[in-house]
Amino acid sequence: MRQTDMTDARVLQLLETYGAWPMAWPEEEREAAEAHLAAHPERFADALAEARLLDAAFEAEPMPEPDPSLAARILADAPQPRTARDSLGARLSRILMPNGQRWPAGAALASLGMGLFAGYTASASSVPATYETEAEAVVYAALGYDQYDTYLEEAPLDE
Amino acid sequence: MAQSALVNRHMPVVWRVAFRMLRDRQEAEDVTQETFLRAWKMLPEWEGRSKFSTWACTVAINLCRDRMKKKAPVLMETLPEREAGDLPPEQALHQKQAGARISALIDALPERQKEALILSALEGMGNKEAAAAMQVSVEALESLLSRARRTLRQALAEGQEE
Repeated sequence: MRQTDMTDARVLQLLETYGAWPMAWPEEEREAAEAHLAAHPERFADALAEARLLDAAFEAEPMPEPDPSLAARILADAPQPRTARDSLGARLSRILMPNGQRWPAGAALASLGMGLFAGYTASASSVPATYETEAEAVVYAALGYDQYDTYLEEAPLDE
Repeated sequence: MAQSALVNRHMPVVWRVAFRMLRDRQEAEDVTQETFLRAWKMLPEWEGRSKFSTWACTVAINLCRDRMKKKAPVLMETLPEREAGDLPPEQALHQKQAGARISALIDALPERQKEALILSALEGMGNKEAAAAMQVSVEALESLLSRARRTLRQALAEGQEE
């Protein structure tokens, strides 16, 4: 708001409504109201004094503080964040059974598990940065594929 | 953790608003916990909603209103004891009396005026946010505030004359 748009009535209203402290006034009117008040201080002296008196009374109103344990109790009710990374087994299951497809689990899983560590040690260091997670990269490397899409294209559903 | 930051930042305000409305620490805690319980349920779908502080104060105020409907009016004698900090005894007594007096005067205001005053004058909330928290227009908030302040000015002036 421009200073020329500010009126005596509005400055008086601001003092009566929000008090004498300009920071309490509406942001969009603050500058214009302050300038108007500074330009005509005699017009607002009484209202300003009354507003200051009440502001001072509010300052005497002590600020109560909550019990220090309340924050912990509230946080105890908060939903637990998901773990940053699922277990390797869970990720392996998702990759082996995309869209819920069933893998002939027994022998295939066993052999895959045995190859996992060897595959990781041989290939993890060269895993491209485009892999979603390190765990997935480990699995893809163990399977001998560059990435998940390649795995989906090439890996047989059943062996 | 985001939840800690949210609680540390907004919980004290929610609690103070509830305490000033209800004048009961335990009830203020109950209201605050209930407010955050609702927040935890809402957070996954928060996108596009209002500021958290506005939303939390709206919920807290509504919970306080529900409780106040069931409560008898707070009597002067039941106002909690207030601590005056480390001031010299005489000044501390004066501060304590002044604080108790203004608290009692605020408590005696009509409910909506009291809410407006707590959010705006005591919690320093901006006019738009306070209006949103109370679910009223800015004009209505200003009307409530000016009536509240006028009542308090008159009461303080009468107190000085006595």
